[in-house]
Amino acid sequence: MKKLVAGLSVSVMAIGALAACGGGTDSGSSDTSSEGGKKPTKIVIWEDTEKAETTKAAAKAFEEKEGVKVEVKEVKMTDQQKKVALDGPAGKGPDIILLPHDQIGTVVDQGLIAELKDGEKALEPFIDTAKSAVTFDGKVYGYPKAVETPILLFNKDELKEAPASMDDLYKISTEQKKDGKYGFLALWDNFYFAHGPIGGYGGYVFKENGGKLDPADIGLNNKGAVEGMDYIGKWYKEGLFPKGLIGGGGGQAMDQLFGDKKAVAVMNGPWAVASYKEKGINLGASALPKLPNGEAIKTFVGVKTYAVSAYSENQEWAEKFLASLTGEENAKAMFEKYNEIPPVTSLQEDATIKDNEVAAAVFAQSKDGVPMPNIAEMGQVWEPMAAALQLVATNKQDAQKSADDAVKQIKQQIEANNQ
Amino acid sequence: MAAIATPQPTKTPKPKTNHRTIAAAISIVPGMGQLYNKQFLKGATFFIVVLSYFLVNFELFFKGAGNGPGDRGAIWGLITLGEVAGVRGDHSIFLMVEGIIALILLVFGIAIYVWNFIDAYRIGKLRDLELEVPSLKMQLRNFRDNGFPYAMLIPSLVLLVFTVVLPLIFTFLIAFTNYKFNNSPPAKLVDWIGIQNFLNIFTVDIFRDTFVSVLGWTLVWTVASTTGVIAIGIGLAVLLNQKGLKGKRFFRSILILSWAVPAFITILIFRSMFNETFGVFNTTLLPAIGLDSGVEWMTDPTYTKLALIGIQWWLGFPYIMTLTTGILQSIPEDLYEAATIDGATSGEKFRLITLPMILFATAPILITQYTFNFNNFNIIYLFNNGGPAVPGQSAGGTDILISWIYKLSLGSNPQYGFAAAITLVLSFFIMTIAVIQFKRSKSFKDEDMI
Repeated sequence: MKKLVAGLSVSVMAIGALAACGGGTDSGSSDTSSEGGKKPTKIVIWEDTEKAETTKAAAKAFEEKEGVKVEVKEVKMTDQQKKVALDGPAGKGPDIILLPHDQIGTVVDQGLIAELKDGEKALEPFIDTAKSAVTFDGKVYGYPKAVETPILLFNKDELKEAPASMDDLYKISTEQKKDGKYGFLALWDNFYFAHGPIGGYGGYVFKENGGKLDPADIGLNNKGAVEGMDYIGKWYKEGLFPKGLIGGGGGQAMDQLFGDKKAVAVMNGPWAVASYKEKGINLGASALPKLPNGEAIKTFVGVKTYAVSAYSENQEWAEKFLASLTGEENAKAMFEKYNEIPPVTSLQEDATIKDNEVAAAVFAQSKDGVPMPNIAEMGQVWEPMAAALQLVATNKQDAQKSADDAVKQIKQQIEANNQ
Repeated sequence: MAAIATPQPTKTPKPKTNHRTIAAAISIVPGMGQLYNKQFLKGATFFIVVLSYFLVNFELFFKGAGNGPGDRGAIWGLITLGEVAGVRGDHSIFLMVEGIIALILLVFGIAIYVWNFIDAYRIGKLRDLELEVPSLKMQLRNFRDNGFPYAMLIPSLVLLVFTVVLPLIFTFLIAFTNYKFNNSPPAKLVDWIGIQNFLNIFTVDIFRDTFVSVLGWTLVWTVASTTGVIAIGIGLAVLLNQKGLKGKRFFRSILILSWAVPAFITILIFRSMFNETFGVFNTTLLPAIGLDSGVEWMTDPTYTKLALIGIQWWLGFPYIMTLTTGILQSIPEDLYEAATIDGATSGEKFRLITLPMILFATAPILITQYTFNFNNFNIIYLFNNGGPAVPGQSAGGTDILISWIYKLSLGSNPQYGFAAAITLVLSFFIMTIAVIQFKRSKSFKDEDMI
């Protein structure tokens, strides 16, 4: 009896709460499609955190010129893909997102970004590497914002000028080793950096056929790739790269050695420049030297890309804004403020960039580099290759077997993922 | 909600009236049975509540919350997971969540509706037996005296359902779909695929070979790290509890220090200390005691495992030590005196008095320590990211199940469905062990230790 009464009043209260919850799931869906010529009230762009000032200035100028408000929100670039997948369908998403170009394939497969209306024309001002980076499956999906690739950073107090070949660096390293120091260091147990020598000897990730990458044709265990891995192994086996660079904490160890002037040169990206300079290194930068076979080191080139969300209802205006944002003037402003190196052809000869050693080095290295594959299958490559490289570096397994295992595993994972 | 008890068949002679059946039958319209029983307020409440409840949620159940063009209600959404793919089409995952919410609400609604039948039946039965039907005043007093805790608990219960139960159901359901990175909305629809994900654990080569070895190491890691922590913690606490030890407080403060630094930071510091070329272990400590200085802490799985277990001991023992110290204070002194008179050695005292007392009081906490380490993602991920590499398997040499699932499901190659399936298998595993342990530990039996 007591229970009965208690229970009844309880259900009354519960319903109050439940009704509130029930009401909360109602979200209005807007199925209105945009009308071509009509000006939107505003477009929203997600810009990387702490790099939004110049974008905000560009947005202001655009608003004054075109009468369309552009709202700049700061969202960490690495989080944008996950966020847009949730915000877009919920109708709260932006019109423009920023993403590393190697995610383009995945994001297109998920249907989150839209193809540019007139891609051919949009890409004209950009360098070739950037063009192919933002092209997926023969279609153009974004405006290149900035280009990144590992280069040679060296200590000018130790090295007057950049060495011409890796053999020279090898000599320097062996000399240094006698004094218990190091010459050249690189994180070649990480496939991002290791692709340089592997690609230089003739390995490739996916075969390119007429602007499309073929995930079935993997060249990471061909003759060239194995040669490249052997070359990598040589640096570790002869103790020129310390064992402390392998595995967790390797990057930290390398930065410390170079910062403490115990190493002459490192292979690293432009993002490391600021912290090296802070440590008081007299920093020089150049493209990476030639491999012993006379080929250039083929680094992975990454292109930060602005793309238009598939959920955007103002695609034309979004593209219009992007054309001005990645145009010469705004791109240069972005470079001056944030050191974002713009892949704009006409800016290569620009004095500001030419005089900047790091930017010039990145430009030069991008020409030899290959854009990181932008198909979704690339996601299956990193872990197996890292494992193979580590086995070679620690001399636990020969290069051929490690490469074969890695390719086998990559293929298995691609297959498992496509089931 | 109230449990629905089946009414006991009465052994009394058959009453003349049959109010119970009538009341229950006309309760098809909520509240009518109560009206028939002359409980007007209650009847009105039932009527209004049930009716408004279903009116409010009708749209959600049968028209949907507008997740796509064909959203025909949550139940339809849950069954089909959408029919039209595309940016302006159905969003399978949203439909699934909406469906789960609707199901929960529906269960609540039905429970209240059923309650209305039971209530009418019971009151009718009272009338049949010519017993007193509680008046409004009595009911209110009853509520005040006995219903208060229920009223206080309900809001948190509702919150719990939506914050804990809903995600659990969601994970459970995802395990039966083909939801993965390259098969996700808006471009594609997600489909129900039955137990395929569970079969994949045991049939797809890269998973099968790896699963067994990873599970093996996970168990070894759990037992070794936790048991060590407990042994060190209890050992130190007992040592520090000896009579006549000078500077107890000082030693305790020193020993607690490793607990004071956040584990996150400690692990990263250890990562640098274990660096093979520059770490303090290989450059200074080991040579100082005359050992080999080239130990492959980061590149040989066995040594990485040893380092990990050592670090976990370092991180975990102060907690157990502190816990035990507190318990030692509560062991009655006369037990030891009696033991001394019986001629027990100090070893016997520890084994037969101290240890059982400690374990009796801490068993539940110790079990949670085991389950915590079973899923101790932080230390594995931060120390060497599950490495070093092992030839021919997709997980690293020190990956435990949780970090391997992370690589599979949230790394560069997310397969949500598969990861959810493994998570379910894992949870089942842990729950089974925990339940068995809890059942066996004396703490949960209603009997005293002494």
